[in-house]
Amino acid sequence: MSSVSVEQVSKRYGSGAGSVLALDDVSLHVPSGELVALLGPSGCGKTTLLRCIAGLESPDAGAVNIGGEDVTHHPPRHRSIGMVFQSYVLFPNMTLRQNIGFPLMVRKESRTAIDTRVEELVELVGLTEQADRYPHQVSGGQQQRGALARALAPDPDVLLLDEPLSALDALVRVRLRDEIRRIQQLVRTTAFYVTHDQAEAMAIADRVAVMNKGRVEQLDQPPQIYDAPATRFSAGFVGNRNALEVAPHAGRVRVGELFDIPVPAPGAGPVIAFFRPEDVVVMKNGLGEAMLVEQRMFQGQMSRLSLQGEIEGQPVRFYADLPTREVVNVTPGEQLRVSVRAEHVRAFPAEG
Amino acid sequence: MSRTVKWALFGGMVVYLAIPIIAALLYSFSGRWTSHMLPDYYTLDHWRGALNDQRLLMALWRSTWMALAVLVLDILIVVPAVYWQRVHNPRIRPLTELSAAIPFVLPFVVIAFGILKITGAAAPQLLGTPWIIWLGHAAVAFPFLYWAVDGAMAAANVVRLNEAASVCGASPVQTLRYVVLPNIGAGLAAGGMLVFATSFGEFAIVQILVGARFENVSLYSLSLLAQTTSEAEKLAVLTIITFVILFAVSVGVVYANRGRLGAVVAGGGLMVRDRDNE
Repeated sequence: MSSVSVEQVSKRYGSGAGSVLALDDVSLHVPSGELVALLGPSGCGKTTLLRCIAGLESPDAGAVNIGGEDVTHHPPRHRSIGMVFQSYVLFPNMTLRQNIGFPLMVRKESRTAIDTRVEELVELVGLTEQADRYPHQVSGGQQQRGALARALAPDPDVLLLDEPLSALDALVRVRLRDEIRRIQQLVRTTAFYVTHDQAEAMAIADRVAVMNKGRVEQLDQPPQIYDAPATRFSAGFVGNRNALEVAPHAGRVRVGELFDIPVPAPGAGPVIAFFRPEDVVVMKNGLGEAMLVEQRMFQGQMSRLSLQGEIEGQPVRFYADLPTREVVNVTPGEQLRVSVRAEHVRAFPAEG
Repeated sequence: MSRTVKWALFGGMVVYLAIPIIAALLYSFSGRWTSHMLPDYYTLDHWRGALNDQRLLMALWRSTWMALAVLVLDILIVVPAVYWQRVHNPRIRPLTELSAAIPFVLPFVVIAFGILKITGAAAPQLLGTPWIIWLGHAAVAFPFLYWAVDGAMAAANVVRLNEAASVCGASPVQTLRYVVLPNIGAGLAAGGMLVFATSFGEFAIVQILVGARFENVSLYSLSLLAQTTSEAEKLAVLTIITFVILFAVSVGVVYANRGRLGAVVAGGGLMVRDRDNE
């Protein structure tokens, strides 16, 4: 158990015109025992950051500290880490038990010490019945449990998980996700969890780092990330928000009768206003904007309506998530008067 | 293609491959074989003679240990080199591929003279010794092992395995020994067999660099043919023995790999699997 800090790390792939800045001056401090999700679209640098912490990549600039020790130039084997890969990467020539014992075997621990520890881990991840099978003889979920146990075997200071669930199907994914959280809480190791799935990040993490173009856009607890996105990118990426481009007028950002909020920052440029589909409300008092229902998608307790209309000469289209009971009689082609909860609208300058 | 055509093609292939072996086998047992389709009568004399011929046995012995020594040298050089190239220095790949193509492109005679010239200038004391054959054979036979091991490492995805092993705390030597080697067994065996066979029957390099001082199977066969009192039946015996040795090595390889190929193909979870029965 150790804190991890990443200080001003940059990493560029390739050189010249075709090069890509994968990490752009990233700094991050994670206290001992915390689980941080690195969330972002593909190519945002989240995996590169994880690999820099693991030592599988070496940063061009900056430093990585684990437990106060500068490990920037240490190879992976000299860092107290355990890592789980998206494609499991268990050793095919070894049984699950041998895989889990491998980190201890290469550390030259005694036979009995290895056996005891492996037994403990096999039980922890629920592989008692499959432990003596080879990886290709068990399911993907079981392989990933094995990989998790292998990563935990040497009792590492830091656990690194690189999209560990993306190769699994939905049901197994949720179950294993909850189990990873349970186990992390149990062993209390500091952990980094790379994912592009916001629901996964929100569910599992103490804090979420939203990443874009090699930078950390926002680092906060899941409710804050969800409710109060700090940047335009966070707002667009997390929460499936609707985005409308608006030209402010007299210091106000107003879209017909939908909402009316103050401008986010001084300046006259156009802004992008974000709001979540669940913040759209149906108006029964004749107020709000009349919108045409294009489609209704049943999603269980909620239904998603695709709405379209023209507001002050501009075509407008967005989604609304409404309780199914409220819209059970609404059919496509109908008009619906709606507005948006102004306190949940976030506006950011459209430039940048 | 209809079944008949398939079987006809397969049968034709079998006949084409088997006839020389069968002919050599019959010849090695034949007493006199002049006027008929099959020998006039059969005898064990040639076999008895061959197995009591010290020169022949020594030739077989030299070929065998040389082929084994070449195999060991090639494995020691090629496996770590391909591992290093794949995992740590992919940029060197065009160079290694080029060097692995040369022995296929240049005739062995040319290579042999090249080795002769260079050795004469750089290390003349090696000339005429088995050492120079060892090095020469290793140099011309390594591409077989290179391509096989390279393919096996690609199939086993050693880059990923190496990353997994290194975050587990394994050193490069431990990774090679416990993770890489066990997962490239199939390629190692297949390529190793070709290296063994290449060295075993090699003629040009032995003839040019050392000659009769290191009479291997090929040199001995040639001298048998060149004799006026030709003992061609003994040559047939030698052919059969050579064939049996190489065949035994191949069967051994296939046997050692039983089930392995499957494990390599299944990738032990390197591929996304659709089966998930949790």
